[in-house]
Formats: sequence, C-alpha cells, structure tokens
Amino acid sequence: MTQTRLPGGLIDRNQPLSFTFNGRKLQGYQGDTLASALMANDIRLVARSFKYHRPRGIFSAGSEEPNALLTLGEGADADPNTRATVVPLREGLVARSQNHAGPLGWDLWSVNDLAAPFFAAGFYYKTFMWPRAFWEKLYEPAIRRAAGLGALSQLPDPETYDKGFLHCDLLVIGGGAAGLSAALTAGRAGANVILADEDLRLGGRLLAESDPLDDAPAADWVARAEAELRALPNVRVMPRTTVFGVYDHGVYGAVEQVSDLPGAALRQTLWRITAKRAVMATGATERHIPFRDNDRPGILLAGAMRAYANRWAVAPARGKVAIFTNNDDGHRTALDLQAKGVDLLGVIDSRTGARPFGDYPIFAGGRVTGTSGRRGLRAIRLAWNGREEELACAALGVSGGWNPNIQLASHHRGRPQWDAARLAFLAQGGPEGLIPAGAAAGEGSTHHALTSGHHAAADALRQLGLTTPAPALPRAEDRQGGAEAFWHVPGKGRAWVDFQNDVTVKDIKLAHQENMRSVEHLKRWTTLGMATDQGKTSNVTALAVMAELTGRSIPETGTTIFRPPYTPVSLSVLGGGDTGAHFRPTRLTPTHAWAKAQGALFVEAGQWMRAQYFPRPGETHWRQSVDREVLAVRAGVGLCDVTTLGKIDVQGADAGEFLNRIYANMMGTLAVGKVRYGLMLREDGFAYDDGTCARLGESHYVVTTTTSNAGLVLRTMEFARQCLWPDLDVTLISTTDAWAQIAVAGPNARRLLSRVVDGFDLSNETFPFMACAELTVAKGCPARLFRISFSGELAYEIAVPARYGQALMDRLMREGADLGVTPYGTEALSVLRIEKGHAAGAELNGQTTALMLGLGRMVSQKKDSIGAVMSRREGLAQDTRRLVGLQAVDPARPLPAGSHLFREGAARDTATDQGWITSACYSPHVGGHIALGFLEEGDTRLGEIVIAANPLQGTEAACRVVPAQFVDPEGGRLRD
Amino acid sequence: MTDLIPMAALGATPVRASFGPLTLTEEEGLTLVSLALPVGFDASVTEVPLPGPGGYAIGTTSVFWTGPNQWMIETRDLDATSRALAPLPDARTTVQSDGWVSFRITSEAGAAPLLDLVTKLVNLPADQLAPGRATRTLLHHLGCFVLRRSETEMAVLTLRSAAGSLWYVLSGAAARIAAQEAT
Repeated sequence: MTQTRLPGGLIDRNQPLSFTFNGRKLQGYQGDTLASALMANDIRLVARSFKYHRPRGIFSAGSEEPNALLTLGEGADADPNTRATVVPLREGLVARSQNHAGPLGWDLWSVNDLAAPFFAAGFYYKTFMWPRAFWEKLYEPAIRRAAGLGALSQLPDPETYDKGFLHCDLLVIGGGAAGLSAALTAGRAGANVILADEDLRLGGRLLAESDPLDDAPAADWVARAEAELRALPNVRVMPRTTVFGVYDHGVYGAVEQVSDLPGAALRQTLWRITAKRAVMATGATERHIPFRDNDRPGILLAGAMRAYANRWAVAPARGKVAIFTNNDDGHRTALDLQAKGVDLLGVIDSRTGARPFGDYPIFAGGRVTGTSGRRGLRAIRLAWNGREEELACAALGVSGGWNPNIQLASHHRGRPQWDAARLAFLAQGGPEGLIPAGAAAGEGSTHHALTSGHHAAADALRQLGLTTPAPALPRAEDRQGGAEAFWHVPGKGRAWVDFQNDVTVKDIKLAHQENMRSVEHLKRWTTLGMATDQGKTSNVTALAVMAELTGRSIPETGTTIFRPPYTPVSLSVLGGGDTGAHFRPTRLTPTHAWAKAQGALFVEAGQWMRAQYFPRPGETHWRQSVDREVLAVRAGVGLCDVTTLGKIDVQGADAGEFLNRIYANMMGTLAVGKVRYGLMLREDGFAYDDGTCARLGESHYVVTTTTSNAGLVLRTMEFARQCLWPDLDVTLISTTDAWAQIAVAGPNARRLLSRVVDGFDLSNETFPFMACAELTVAKGCPARLFRISFSGELAYEIAVPARYGQALMDRLMREGADLGVTPYGTEALSVLRIEKGHAAGAELNGQTTALMLGLGRMVSQKKDSIGAVMSRREGLAQDTRRLVGLQAVDPARPLPAGSHLFREGAARDTATDQGWITSACYSPHVGGHIALGFLEEGDTRLGEIVIAANPLQGTEAACRVVPAQFVDPEGGRLRD
Repeated sequence: MTDLIPMAALGATPVRASFGPLTLTEEEGLTLVSLALPVGFDASVTEVPLPGPGGYAIGTTSVFWTGPNQWMIETRDLDATSRALAPLPDARTTVQSDGWVSFRITSEAGAAPLLDLVTKLVNLPADQLAPGRATRTLLHHLGCFVLRRSETEMAVLTLRSAAGSLWYVLSGAAARIAAQEAT
C-alpha cells in the first residue's frame, strides 16, 4: 500500500486481498473495486486509448468508465473490456491491460499519436476506399491490430450461465437514495417489489458522499433500509443486477452477476422481469469539461474522486489535487478531499462570481487550458485573471454538471427533452409505466432524491390500486447544483470529448465542416458514443459542443436516444446457458436409441432427429448405404420410422364436413376403414401440404401431415375450427407423439407383418390398398394399420403406442431376417418416393399449385374448401408448368436440385427459363441420375431433351423428360 | 398382455435424480386421457370435475383445463375413469399417455426450492403457479403444461419425443440451484 490510501471508507482493512496487474503482485482490501485497489497502489496508467494509444487512467467510479478497460482472467476465462470500476476485488484476481504492443508504459503503437493529424475523424472512410480488394485482406486486419479494445480468447466460454423469469408489481431500478425510498414505500405497502442495482452494495451515491442522514453516516441508514427490505417477504433485493433494457409489454431485461470466480456454479443469470410499473432511479453521470490534453491519467471526474475518497478511502494520486468545475458540486469534492487530508491545490471554477465553500484557494472564472505529464498528470496550465501559469498537480477532478441516466426511458423511442434550468436532458415519453425518480429525474439533492423516490412509488402503486403509508424519510442535505453552462475550453490542441473513441472537439468541428449536421451523423462519422460506455460521459457534451460551434441551442441541435443494452451484456448470458447440442430442443423418434445402436447417422428434420441412413461395414460412401437400402426395399422389405409425420385425431359429428372444407378433395365420403390421399391448399390457392386421411369410425378420422408441416397444419385446422366454423361439432387432438409409426415397405411386407399381427387377415381381399384398421400386434399390443405406400411397393404403416415403438422395430427386424428385412433412413425414403414420383416438401414449397403437381382434378368442384376458389383465379389456373420426371442422358451425370431447365441451345436467362428441378437423386432402380421438376407444358413434352443448368456453379446436364413415375407407373405393386 | 417390452421416455426405465432438496422423477403408470366435449354439454351428469381455465382439480383422478371444452385427465384407473365419463355419451377421449412425458418434481424443503426452480424455467406469475393451477406455456422453446399439485410438488409435461430436451433443462436448472445453495 502507498500513501494514496486514506482513512475511513467502506473497505474492510482486516481482509487484505492479493491480485495482479500486468503480472505485478498487488494488494487491496475487501470492499475495494479493482479500480480503487489500483489507485491505492498508486497505479495511474492502466490503459491505452482506442485510436491514438494515448496513456489513460481511471476516469470514473462506475459503469460509465470509458478508459479503464482491462482483461480479467486467463485462457478461456479471459474476459476482455471489463471496466475496472465495477469489478469487486477478489483474492487472486488476474488483470492485465490491453490494446498495446510491448509494455503498457512503452506501447509501440503510440506512434499513432504522433501521426494524429492524419487520423482525424473520417480518416478511415476516406483513405481506405481504394483499391477495394485491399480492404478485407490488408486494411481491415491492419487497422484492427492497431486500433481496438480487448481481444477474445477464441475459446469456448467455460463458465455457466442461466436464465429466468420474474414478475412484480414494481421494479425499482437503482438502489440509491431514490431507489431505496421507492422500494421502502412499495414494500411497506405490501406490493410485490424487485429492487435491482448494478452495484455490489445498495446505496448508490449515498456510499460516495460524506453527508449524513438523520445526523448519522448515510451507510447506516442504507444498511437499515436494506435489512428492512430483505426482511419483507414481498421484496426481492437484487444487487449486482443491471437492468439493461426495456422491452414490450413491461418486460425488462436484466443480468445478475452471481459470481466472478472462474469455475463458479453460476456466473450470470439473464432475467426477464415482467413489471406492472417501474421506477427508474438510475442516478446521474457526471460530465467532464473538454480542454487541451484533458485525457492524462490522473484526470478524473470530480464526483468519482469524491467517491474514491469517501467509499474506498483512496486519493487519486500522491501530490496536489485540483478541481475544475462549473458548478457547486465540484466544491463538495474539494471539501471532502480536504477533510481526508488530501493536499488541495484549489478549485478552478469557470463561474466568475464563484466563492469557496471552505478554506481552500479558489480561481473564480478560471480555466484549465492544458496539462503535461507523459504517463500521468504532472502539471496543469491555469488561465485565470488574465494570465496563464503552469501549476504542479498530480490529479485533477473535473465537474461539468450531471446528466440524468435516462437511457432506459429512451428504449421505446422516448426522446429526451432539454431542461435549460438544470442543463440536462430529462426523460420524456418512453416506456409506459416507467417513472423516473431522484437524480435520474433531475433531482440532484439527497433530500429530493428520497422524496421523489417515494412519490414515484406512491404514484405507481396508486395506478395499481394500492395505497401507500406516509414515509418516514431521513433528514438529508438539500443543496442545489448551481451549474452554469460551460461546455469546453476553447483553444489549440486536442481536447477529448469521448475518451473511449478518441473523439476530440476538433473532430466535432470537422464533422460539422463535412456537413454531418445531424447528431446521428456526427455519432456515426466520428464513432462518438459507441463501444462499451455508449457515450455516457460524452454524448451530451458533444451535443453541446456542436451546438456552440454552430451557434444553435441544444434543442435546436437535436438530441440522441439510447438503445439497449445500458451496459455491455455477454452473448453467453443472452444464450441463457444453452449451447451446443442443447442450444435448441430436439425431438427423438421412439426408435432413436435402436437406430443409434445400429450405427445410423442422423439428420435434422425441423426439431426431429431422423435416421438418415444405416451404414454397414465396408460401406465407405453414403451412396453405397442408400443404394443398398433402396434396393432392399424394392427386392425384399424395409423398415423406416415415420413417427415424425404429423397425426391429428379429428372427432365429432361434423368431422367429415370439417375435413371436406380443409382438404381440396372430398373427404367426407371416405368409408370407415379406408384411407384417402388428401391435398390441402392455402387461402391463396397454392398447395401447402399433403398426406393421408384415415377414417377409423363414423365420427373419427386421423389426418396425417408431412413432418415439417405438422404444427402448421394443426394450427390452420384449429384456426378454422375455432374461428371460421365454430358451429361445426369437431375436436382436434395431436397424437403425433402418442404413436410410434413404422413403414413396412417391399414385396415381403405382408409376409413380415403377418408374423406380428394377432390373427388379422392381411390378404389383399380383406385388407386392400388404402385400407386401415385398429388391431393388436405381438399378443395384445394395440395398433393401427394403414395400407399406404410412399415407395410404390406393397407397403403398410403400422402404429403402436410410442412406448412399444422400439420393441416393435426390434421384433420386425428379428421376424424379417429371412425376408431380407433392412432398416432404411430418410435418404432412401427420398430416393424411393422420387422414383415413384411422389411430391414432398420440395414440390410443395408454397409456390406450386395442384395443377402444377398434376393433381388439378383433386380440387373438388362439388364443394367449397380452403383455397379452392383462389386456385381457379387467373394466373394460377393458367400456369402451364407441370411436374415431370427427368432422366439424365448420361446416367452418371448428376442433376442437381435447384437447377433451372432450358431448351437445348437456348440462352440461360430468366426469359428462356422453362422451370426447375425440385428433387434429385441417383436411382439404383433406373441405374442413373433422375429428378423431379416443374417444366413448362411438361406433360406434353415427354421424350424431349432439356438442359438442367446450374449457373451458380457453371454446370449443365442434358436430361430427358419422362413421366414422374420411374417405378411401376401402373401401380400394380402397391395394389398386389 | 403383449410381449413387447415398453420403454420409458428416456430409456429402459424411468429416470429419477435428486439435486439438493429437489427430486425429479419421470412418472410411470399414469394414464393421460384428453377429453373434449361438444358445446352445450351438461357437466352435472358426471362425477369427473371439469375445472375452468387454468384450473387443476387434484384427486384420485386429476383433471386440468387445456382449452375451451377440453381437459386432460390424469388417472391410474382408466376403467374407473371411463365409467365416470359414461354419462357423457358425446365425450371424445383420446389416450395420450404415450404422447406426453411427465416429470414430477418434489421438494423436501418446502415450496421455496420449487419456486426457485420454476422461476428459472417458465415465464409465469405466482398466481399461475399456485397449488391447484395448471398452465400451458413455453419452456426451453417447448410447449408444456406446468401443474402445481401441492406446495411441494409439481409436474411438467411435454411431448414425449422432447423428453431428453426437457430433462436437460429441468435437471440442469435444478443442479445449478443445488450447486449455488452448496456454495
């Protein structure tokens, strides 16, 4: 420890803590922040600036910090751009500076500062325009290396994150005087209250001030208030919780820092808080006053200096300290520092009539016009009483007034309003139910903060119908700020406005000269207000400087609004801890574990994981496996888990009529025990889903949908049931998950199934193509059997309760060993249906009609149904493209899906475009590549050669137009 | 009795795991039946309680509301339930036992651990999580039912196919709470 440690403070000197900064072992105390501990070790240079690599020190004492961005931790745990001002010191903390080449004190990139005249705002935009190709490979990497903040570890974040939801009557954002007052008011009234504060300790500025409350230290009152709040069952106190954004419907986003320790059980939680009302007691951030070379380490916000002295018992430097202010608050810092024994040079007050509040020198009407000191402040240049002189000074506190922290009130496009009396933007409009209080409402004194906090809570609760008892608030100081507008010290040299982005008064001037008159343009052109601090210490000052330069008022110049997040939020916590395989939910089929044991590879189909194919030993390419599976189905029998197809139970007296209106084709006439293929249209007449509909009883149907449209179809049907035809007596229940469904396809399908059904006659006569039945299998297991075929082979789909799915698959495999039974996956399924010419998702892509699919006659003229009328409209009814089969002239030449079709010799452009390929595969049955596609008048062009072109990859292949059914076009196999 | 061997949602047998005061168990032997009644039905003819929106009638046969004129019945005696529903000839029932997985969550330390857990899972206010309430909601992007059976017991139901994802979320959240409590 050094002489910068002061007496008193809210640190525990009985708990020393060791930490390192740039490898140097240092010590602080429990209760310190990393910033206060560095200051206590007399470390002033902690960072390099973004662009010019200027030496930078700690500037603030809160989350607004623009300079002291450090990297904490090592390896995968390294956390860059962490504000030292908000990191509680802990034993073993490892911190290092960032954005420098070589040691921090001898940064080689500081050569940029010498070249500063060339690096004015807009430099990059103007300089690196040519040659364009150089940007990505040369310019950008070079600029990124030289200018920037911290670097990511590039390793996965090993820490644990969580998410959650909270609900309350009143959310109090900020635990300072106003926030505590609001929480006490609402808590005592019995409201459900959440009190969130970004700091480790409640109290806000009360912890940073020396003023008593009720003649006792403010921290005592804070402790009593916190104890009372924690004892109330209706109040949740959440320190280290930053409310970073306001979203629709009263939802507030917040991040709770649960632990800082690497490997802790939980690092952060993302909370979505639904609040009926909220009090924005977010305090205020002090402004600085730009003057020449105002960015040296040792120059701090005056209020921060006071906070370090009072709360953390640390002086900003060894040696004399001066204050430069345009308001009375700067004098408070002087008084507090003096009381702590700091050697005070005096107060430089820009107001000509300013008087001291104590026994210290005052330079009324003075200005700081420059500074010196290479790695830290050594002297200031004072202009006062018509002369300029250099004064030795180790630290300078600057106070240009306070900006209410109104960021959250801007999140619903609320535009702040300038208050000329307070010289501050105040919240206006913004999120409904968000009430500003305390310093955030422009109420600077503690007395006003306490009372406005109470009034805000009482107002909020009144709106909710709750009454609040009269408050017993402590007596508190009630000073006024007395600020007089003084936005910057004119003069030569660079005067920083935005420290984090190295934006100076000159840059703002230049922006104005370049016609960046809108504040939004100014921000984007100079990068002012960007990055981690989002301009908390610079935005308003920049606006005022711009107003001054242009001779306009601040309201005339404009304002700026703020977007979430208030302070940086890590992507990890936004993800809520769900990463990798669990980033989103997956659905597994009943035979998933079995398929995995067979070595299946899986493919995502929506949320489902489906077996794609089942490689066997010796197969080195997926095509070998798929070809084998396809041929096995055509020659013997194959099994495929088709549970993922949507299943909707439709019951009720009007079920038939309901389905007539849902399907384009007639469904009400379907006989019990029969299945019919059905097509559904959208309201606009385009086809959107197909499948089968089985009638199990007089008023009981089962609708089967495609896997990807299962949810959409159910939603559409529910909408129709509830909103279009509520008069129909019909009920819909999704049973997709309830039944494990297995396709049994191939010439041996009947023989195989006959070995598992319980005395059920599967003969063609009793159970023909498109029959269905409820039966039992395997000695009593309830089942549903449908004789339908997607492959064109003799095929069935058998469904059993999901719990028996795996056992049934196992049984069928065992019973079918002598029949050549083979499991097949979605790839073979796709090849089989392309060979058979069945439409699937690629053909039903929302842009095709029943006519195009060759299913025009399915749109019944005898009844109305969703989309029927619109399908007959001009433009749809005249579409001449038709689904055809395409067979590669060179069988070995693939026909890529997505290829467009052209006549031989025609140009390859949209004017000559004849259609496109929807699905393609290698057909082991045909012995070559085949495809399905839509072709202009395709149904009349059988035998013609067309060109499948892929202009993106520059490939082409000739193919012959053929019927879509490559297998058994007469349909004999599936009816046998 | 079939000789096919049934599987639990996550494997051969139902899962069960404890995390501090919380125990998560996949429920077995519970039959779920969805019930729908036509508009204008007479509820007085059946003993089966038919609660209103958000309601959950807890008993030997429990019933919770799932939509207008629709309920889900939890029963361990399907025959008795069928008899109870017999006076409602227009009732449409669909056995849903295999359509859903139900994870029972119990607390050995009162309601607080349960509420801590549910706070991390679903966006529901306290009154919708009170004993005797059932709510259909989203959890980890999954549609689910959250049933509060008592101060110290709740159940979460989701699609059986998504049982693995739900278990990941429930057990992960419970484990994090337990680990936090332990530190």
